[in-house]
Amino acid sequence: MTRSSRRQFLKAGAAAVGTAALGCNTTNAPPGRKLASLWFSYGGRNRRVLEQLVHRFNHSQSDHWIHAVYQGDYFEALAKLRTAIAAKAGPAFSHVVGEVITYLAGADVLEKLDDYPGARGLDVIPALGQDGSWIGGDQRPLVALPFNRSTPIAYLNGDLFDKAGLAPPTTWQELREAARALSVRSGGRTTRYGFGCPIDWWFWTALVGQAGGQVVEPDGRVSLGGPAGVEALELWQHMVSQDHSMKPPPGRDYNAWEATNQDYLAGRTAMIWTSTAFLKYLEDNAPFPVVAAPLPARQRHAVPTGGTFWVIVKSAPAEQKQTAWAFLRWVLEPAQVITWATHTGYMPVTHAAVKRLDAEGYYQRHPNDHVAYEQLRVAMPWPWSAELFRIQREIVQPRLESAVLSHKNATELLAQARAQAKRSLQ
Amino acid sequence: MRPRRPFDPWWMLAPTAILLLVFFFWPLLSAVYRSLFAWDLLTPPRWVGLDNYRVLLSSGEIWHAFWTTLVFSIVVVIGSMALGLGLALVLNRRGAFFGFVRSAIFSAYVISWVSVALLFLWVLDADAGVLTHVLRAIGLPTANWLGDPHVALYTLAGVTIWKITGYAMVLFVAGMQDIPPSLYEAASLDGAGRWQRFQNVTWPMLRPTAAFVGTTSLILTFQVFDVVRVMTQGGPVRSTTVFVYAIYEQIFENLRVGRASAEVVLFFVLLLGLTLLQLWAWRRQEPT
Repeated sequence: MTRSSRRQFLKAGAAAVGTAALGCNTTNAPPGRKLASLWFSYGGRNRRVLEQLVHRFNHSQSDHWIHAVYQGDYFEALAKLRTAIAAKAGPAFSHVVGEVITYLAGADVLEKLDDYPGARGLDVIPALGQDGSWIGGDQRPLVALPFNRSTPIAYLNGDLFDKAGLAPPTTWQELREAARALSVRSGGRTTRYGFGCPIDWWFWTALVGQAGGQVVEPDGRVSLGGPAGVEALELWQHMVSQDHSMKPPPGRDYNAWEATNQDYLAGRTAMIWTSTAFLKYLEDNAPFPVVAAPLPARQRHAVPTGGTFWVIVKSAPAEQKQTAWAFLRWVLEPAQVITWATHTGYMPVTHAAVKRLDAEGYYQRHPNDHVAYEQLRVAMPWPWSAELFRIQREIVQPRLESAVLSHKNATELLAQARAQAKRSLQ
Repeated sequence: MRPRRPFDPWWMLAPTAILLLVFFFWPLLSAVYRSLFAWDLLTPPRWVGLDNYRVLLSSGEIWHAFWTTLVFSIVVVIGSMALGLGLALVLNRRGAFFGFVRSAIFSAYVISWVSVALLFLWVLDADAGVLTHVLRAIGLPTANWLGDPHVALYTLAGVTIWKITGYAMVLFVAGMQDIPPSLYEAASLDGAGRWQRFQNVTWPMLRPTAAFVGTTSLILTFQVFDVVRVMTQGGPVRSTTVFVYAIYEQIFENLRVGRASAEVVLFFVLLLGLTLLQLWAWRRQEPT
């Protein structure tokens, strides 16, 4: 090997090592295109739909190129995003669960979007955008744009409800009665549960709202709903321990959600509460008619919203941020919003998309798709609190499990949680 | 003995010393330092002194994680050693059949933890799992293996025993094959039965092997993570939140680097204490 070829070899080797070290942040865009990396969390069907959208965008114009990288579930992706931002190796943009947006905004790592062309004029449905998803969200710099937004809804096994002559429950009382009527017990154990729901903060928040309370008061005090919080928790306790009509799934977080889906699809539960995000998945895989219904009321109807928001990483290079913005503008156009919503079950996030779906008779043909959108009338905004996700994960979630699975006193548990939240916020 | 060139021992030790320095002492010192701050990786670290330790100790979180890990370790170490020894006694024979069975049992040890955990998620489903079906078919009671807070930790211990028993068995078989047959012959001539031969020949000769198996299994069980992450995520009701999982939760889910570092330091101190206790116990047993 001559000296010059040895040098070339070493240069090539160094370049290869450098490329490997930079990892997924580097990929080749076609010549003349500006590249931006997108980190996403959707798995299965939703992942395929997003990848198709990215493919469409990349081939719909000749200036930009999006490189989409799967990063695990919401919280795994968040952990990676946070670490990558700290290491200055983050993507140009990503999507993040609503509970964490406030924390990331407080840490000043999200790009403020107000000055981007057309940002404040986007046709976003307020209850699904930053303005309506958080109390006072419209008073703050725009950092989050909606994409996969959801509410919890009820999924009923149409065959079992028909056989039992039952209508979708509209009150807690009807929920308990229907769950009891649909449960089957044999040899001292329940072989089919009338109701299934992950023991999860999101669904408990819905119950708190329905019982007339709210988790955080307008003055910022963490009340956990007061008596409404206790009533919500006791509903689950009664259905699990007294009625034996509700199945708390094993596992935590999204593992429990998946177990809930599988129980429903296998006919082991007649009715579940889960996210509207699973609508198409459940419709495609259930061997029975899937009937979606709004959640029932106690004092009132109420649901939290969920899902994620698009965010652009503040520390990303300006050129990449422009490419990310071009994609976000494109993906919020009616055609893309409709593709996403009708192929997944998430809600369409713009007025124009909803109008078009309505005009085309989509909701008449697919009434299940309209349930979550209808529930937006009673959607509860979240407080703009950087500590909200910690209150959720560290303080409330373990106690919900403790109340339902270990039969602990709901009043005492929530009093402890309130005291801990107060200390944590001091 | 003095080396001819005084720096030679240091050069020879250097590779190991550098590895220890970079991958053990430096991270440990870094954890000690970070444990004195509130830090989430994104905002500047804020000095909190010993507050992270105070919160962990006063909330009982650290003791809960330590107790959960200890119970898990005791069940797994005793279970896998007893089962491994029993299998070694049965399978320490010549022949292709016994060789095949030994290999089959050991194969579980080399399968990835994630695969094992996913397999057992299916086996242990409370309603549709294979185990539940089998138990019901023979009229035995079943349990909510992963959903009952009183059962889940023991279920994970059972899965771990299934996975690592082959390791204990192979080492015990190797230990048995090192025992001189003359000792058994002498014992037989003295009229010793099977149990007496085990009690007076096999077990005393296997004690160093048992100590090795016990120590390595203890280390492995104190580091348990994958099976918890895949099967229970620390639940239900934190009943399977073992030490390493608690650290993972703090740093990756609660985004508290300082508190996770404090947990690392406390974990190190508790493990150091346990190791010293173990060493002291062994030294007491050694003949003077």
